[in-house]
Amino acid sequence: MASDDSTVLKLENVHKQYESADRDPVPVLRGISLTVQRGDSLAIVGPSGSGKSTLLNILGSLDSPTRGSIRLDGEELAHLPEQKLAAIRSQKIGFVFQSHHLLPQCSVLENILVPALAATGRAPTSALERAKQLLERVGLEHRVDHRPAQLSGGECQRVAVVRALINRPSLILADEPTGALDHSTAESLADLLVELNRDEHVTLIVVTHSEELAAKMGTTHQLQDGQFAGSVN
Amino acid sequence: MTTWSLVLKSFRFYARSHVGTLMGVAVGTMVLVGALLVGESVRGSLHDMAAARLGRVELALPSNDRLFRAEMADQLQADLDTSTTALLQLPGTAKRPSGENRANNVVVMGVNEAFWKLALKPPEFVRIPEDSIVLNERLANQLDVKKGNMVNLRVHNPSQLSRDAPMAPIEDSTASLAQLEVLAIVSDAEFGRFSLQASQVPPYNAFVSLDQLQEAIEKPAMANLMLVGQAQAPAKSPTLGQAQAALARHWQLADAQAQLLQLPDGKGIELRSPRVFLDPPLAKAATGLSTNATEVLTYFVNKIQLGDKSTPYSMVTALADFEPDSVWLNQWSADDLQAKVGDEVELSYYSVGTMRQLEERSGKFKVGGVIAMDDPRSDITLMPDFPGMTDSADCADWDTGFPMDLDAIRDKDEEYWDTYKGTPKAYISLGTGKEIWSNRFGNLTAVRYPQNGRAALDKLAQELLGKLKPTDTGLTFQPARAQASSSVTNAMDFGQLFMSFSFFLIAAAVMLISLLFQFTMEKRTRETGTLLAVGIPARRVRRMLLLEGGLIAIAGCIVGGGGGSLFARAMLSALSTNWKDAVASATLTYHSNGTAWATGASMGFFVALGTIWWALRKLKKQTARELLVGGSQEILGTRKSTKRTSIIAVVLFLCAIGSVGAAVASGSQISPNSFFIAGALLLLSGLAFTSVRLTALARTKALSHADGLSLSGLGQRNAARRRRRSMATVGMLACGSFMIGSIGVFQKDANVDANIPTSGTGGFELMGEASIAVIHDMNNAANREDFYSIDEDIIKNVNFVPFRLRDGDQANCLNLNLAQEPRLLGVRPEMLIGKFTFIDTLDGLKTGNNPWSILETARQTLNLSDDIVPVIADQSVMMWALSGGDPMKSKKLGDTLGYTDEHGNTFRVKFVGQLADSILQGNLIIPESDFIKRFPSQSGYRVFLIDGPEAKIKEISDELNNAMEDHGFEWVRTTQRLGELNAVQNTYLKTFQVLGGLGLLLGSLGLGVVVMRNVEERKSELALLRAIGFEKNSIKQFVLVEYISLLIGGLLIGTIAAGLAVLPAMLSPTADVPYTLLGLTLGGVLLLAGLWTWTATTLSLCGNLLDGLRRD
Repeated sequence: MASDDSTVLKLENVHKQYESADRDPVPVLRGISLTVQRGDSLAIVGPSGSGKSTLLNILGSLDSPTRGSIRLDGEELAHLPEQKLAAIRSQKIGFVFQSHHLLPQCSVLENILVPALAATGRAPTSALERAKQLLERVGLEHRVDHRPAQLSGGECQRVAVVRALINRPSLILADEPTGALDHSTAESLADLLVELNRDEHVTLIVVTHSEELAAKMGTTHQLQDGQFAGSVN
Repeated sequence: MTTWSLVLKSFRFYARSHVGTLMGVAVGTMVLVGALLVGESVRGSLHDMAAARLGRVELALPSNDRLFRAEMADQLQADLDTSTTALLQLPGTAKRPSGENRANNVVVMGVNEAFWKLALKPPEFVRIPEDSIVLNERLANQLDVKKGNMVNLRVHNPSQLSRDAPMAPIEDSTASLAQLEVLAIVSDAEFGRFSLQASQVPPYNAFVSLDQLQEAIEKPAMANLMLVGQAQAPAKSPTLGQAQAALARHWQLADAQAQLLQLPDGKGIELRSPRVFLDPPLAKAATGLSTNATEVLTYFVNKIQLGDKSTPYSMVTALADFEPDSVWLNQWSADDLQAKVGDEVELSYYSVGTMRQLEERSGKFKVGGVIAMDDPRSDITLMPDFPGMTDSADCADWDTGFPMDLDAIRDKDEEYWDTYKGTPKAYISLGTGKEIWSNRFGNLTAVRYPQNGRAALDKLAQELLGKLKPTDTGLTFQPARAQASSSVTNAMDFGQLFMSFSFFLIAAAVMLISLLFQFTMEKRTRETGTLLAVGIPARRVRRMLLLEGGLIAIAGCIVGGGGGSLFARAMLSALSTNWKDAVASATLTYHSNGTAWATGASMGFFVALGTIWWALRKLKKQTARELLVGGSQEILGTRKSTKRTSIIAVVLFLCAIGSVGAAVASGSQISPNSFFIAGALLLLSGLAFTSVRLTALARTKALSHADGLSLSGLGQRNAARRRRRSMATVGMLACGSFMIGSIGVFQKDANVDANIPTSGTGGFELMGEASIAVIHDMNNAANREDFYSIDEDIIKNVNFVPFRLRDGDQANCLNLNLAQEPRLLGVRPEMLIGKFTFIDTLDGLKTGNNPWSILETARQTLNLSDDIVPVIADQSVMMWALSGGDPMKSKKLGDTLGYTDEHGNTFRVKFVGQLADSILQGNLIIPESDFIKRFPSQSGYRVFLIDGPEAKIKEISDELNNAMEDHGFEWVRTTQRLGELNAVQNTYLKTFQVLGGLGLLLGSLGLGVVVMRNVEERKSELALLRAIGFEKNSIKQFVLVEYISLLIGGLLIGTIAAGLAVLPAMLSPTADVPYTLLGLTLGGVLLLAGLWTWTATTLSLCGNLLDGLRRD
């Protein structure tokens, strides 16, 4: 597959194994290759222990591959220093975790603005405007000053989605975003993600066990024992 | 929104979680600020005391027994343009006329109006009228008198002629002032505390009119202390050099104890001295004045004998005119002896040795001629003014200071006295005279000049003064204020002392800060992971958390700073009550100038911030991914790092053992520094071993121990899961038990082995100090009977060891000030054979059977120059008292210390021997021979050690008190004295123990916190155990085993470390190890910490564990 401006992410032969002081290394990913185009939505599914979360962490530069190449917007991530990776995460990647990981001490608006602090330590006014727009977009404009403890699980997760979008990233990585939600809330969140993928023209990669959520994505990749066993369009 | 606002939000949001950390910071800061405030208060109190004792005095000119003209103070006042005053300051005793209350070691001062003007607050009276007395508060309390009551005084009568000198009278060695009405009792501010000696204990001061005291001792218009006050602008106060120069401008021969007299009949002008013998500097200046000067030495001989004929008690003069080995008799004497030229005459005379032991010596001379009674050489003026003789009407009235055989005095002798007075009966050569009669006071009694007339006399006086300096005769100004300032500034730093006492309290606080902050951070690992995941750089995240920690530290410092004041007040209160021995009962008041706050709070802040930074270090090692999954699991070290830790543990252990072993091998007591270092090494070694053990437990493969799998085994392995927490717990307990274990063995009991000569008492029973020196040898029964009428039945078998005393600052732990010029004791080394224990002597000195002999042999062995005097001192004096508690300044063998002798010459004492702690603490001990050479005027003995039958000691001290009342003896049991000295150290230890105990309490509280936190974290797994059928008690046992093993481990490490670290002290002959108390204390700690653990476990496990599991 060719790598051009439309390619957001490109993995080539990515391996990952975990070292242990007393045991042999444990291989988790074995030769993953993947190319994702801008605006794509993609689901990675597979049984527990297949390496889904590890792959997502590598995609999000939270972890580095043992071997292989990973390029985001054409930039090789595999050997960048942590400081540079942090900058890339803040500018180009948005995370949505199974647990929302909102800061309990901050209001909804503040939580959304946290990634905006990454560059200079001060959130720009434009970020504030965008945060408000996004909150309105997800129907939480009335919850701006609320703390996470005052929100429902679904609301928290929607705030987390907005937080992921605040810096206009090229890539949203969602790790079991609906895993902690009831069915109806999960479906609503899944729809939201798809809408945002479409409206914000942001690439969306979701790791999930949920077939329903996976079905809403443009492509689904099956991960088995650290390797892609196949994909469904 | 900014990073800072996020930090503030986090700080506010987690405020409740931070309370524990904040309290840890507060405790640490409180202790630091409190300790520094104690130091500031002690310094402030000492400063107040120094200000009170010196008032506005800037310089002082003490001259002891060498009196000068009081009017010189007025002359200097005009010259220096500042207030001055002259006073007589004499040691004495005071009592109420009824005799019921008495005080020894009273400082009696004859003062005039000018004296009170130097007080910080002049008293209400202007001058003290005759027959009145003013007392300071301490003396008034001791005598229990009030204004209007009567007091009797007895004072030392300073003799121009040393009491040790031959022919010195003893009758007038004291003077009394009776029925003095108390005019006022003056406060410290009113100069009641006046003293030149730095001590926190006020002296017993009694003030009388200067005129009256001068009259009482028959020294009109004389003084022995001059004070120079500060100028209106203190910076313009006269300097030492200006005062000394002014003194040189105004002093006269009388101030050098010299007088020039016009001899009758144009015989010339004679220089003589009321001291009888001319001081060597004076004699040197006088003889150097003119080539025509004639040296004269007249001595009192007991007998001039020729065959069976003898002439008793005669003056014999040595002059340069005569041949060596010949004697010329005057006509009267030649007739009396029926002597003719060529006969051999024997002269017998007394030579006064130490302790005024009289040794009759004799010399044979050939009669070289006879001098007619009308020969100019038959000169009545050749006899010096012997006090007690010159003015006597009859020979029988002579007070010569030694026993005379009055039966030997014939009528013709009385007639001779009536007619010729002290006209010499014989003459010998000057060289021979100097050879046989010279002594430490001089070798001339006069110098004569051929000139005559007033003008010649005045010229000679000016020339003589020009050749002399006031310092030659002991007139040296001292910078009293500067010395006081130095003694306070360099005094023992109680701030540092209390900080070291509080070491474990601070350490426990630091561990609590670390533990609690880590707990808080562990609860927020996901949050931290999120911040990293959204792209905030790791360094900024750490900085944000550090900022948050900084806010906690600031808040803690504010709370702790306030608590510091309370802590300091509590410490000062304890120092005034239970711990008063640590400050020798000094009255300490709270002082704060803000420095302690600023310093203590800054230290507290940085310690807390440092601890928080340290606690945050592990964030560096954890990735966002690990943190997002709550990844606070500890990473097990590699086998390589474990091996490295094992090696470190062994090396530390060997270093500690080596350090202790070296101290044991050297036979010296381990220094506190070595103690801490050895202890710290052992502790670290123990902790490193524990770390290795915990790692090994964590690595244990379940299957390998399947056969032996037990609940307790699982519990022990659980301790390895949170290795850092376990290590912190063990560390706290180890430090605490180390402190308790080690401090206990340093407690000293003065009564242990007190009767053994090598103990701190030297095996002596009593120690006494006299206000007024004792001249005679108290080991001589005849002296005891003749001079004091002591009951021999009581006093027989009693041995006295006398010491000469040069007053100075007490250089021991009972003096909070830094001793500027410590007291000197002069002793004959042979009197102390086998007494006390020497820790060390200077390399190269041979001690033989009597280490004290090095006082005599060091000069030759070490080839010491004349200005060096060997000295022996207690270890604690060298280590602490002379350094103000600063180990860097402590004196070592071979070091020296400067003094000024009686003639203004500087000399240095060189430390050649070091004693184990003894009753001699506070003094520097030099050979008596050097003492009398340096301080020839310092007559007699003032300090005594007494060895006698223990059963009769009370009787002996009562008898000595009664019989020698005029000397104002203060007798104490040596065990009491040693106990008082030990009490300081024991109280320090007690303080350390109490504060360390608080640290341990805090530490054990930390154990409880750790238990609760850990159980909380593991609630679901404990619930699982419950779910699969374990009884609640079994689960409790499971948890308890984990922590009890940590508890026992910590205590064992601490106890073993303490045991090894103090091994040298345990082997020391003076150590009294309270094993029972130690066992009880450590057992108590075990119980207390066990109780915390049990309580925390019970509280954590109460309720239904399964609810948690159901929720999961």
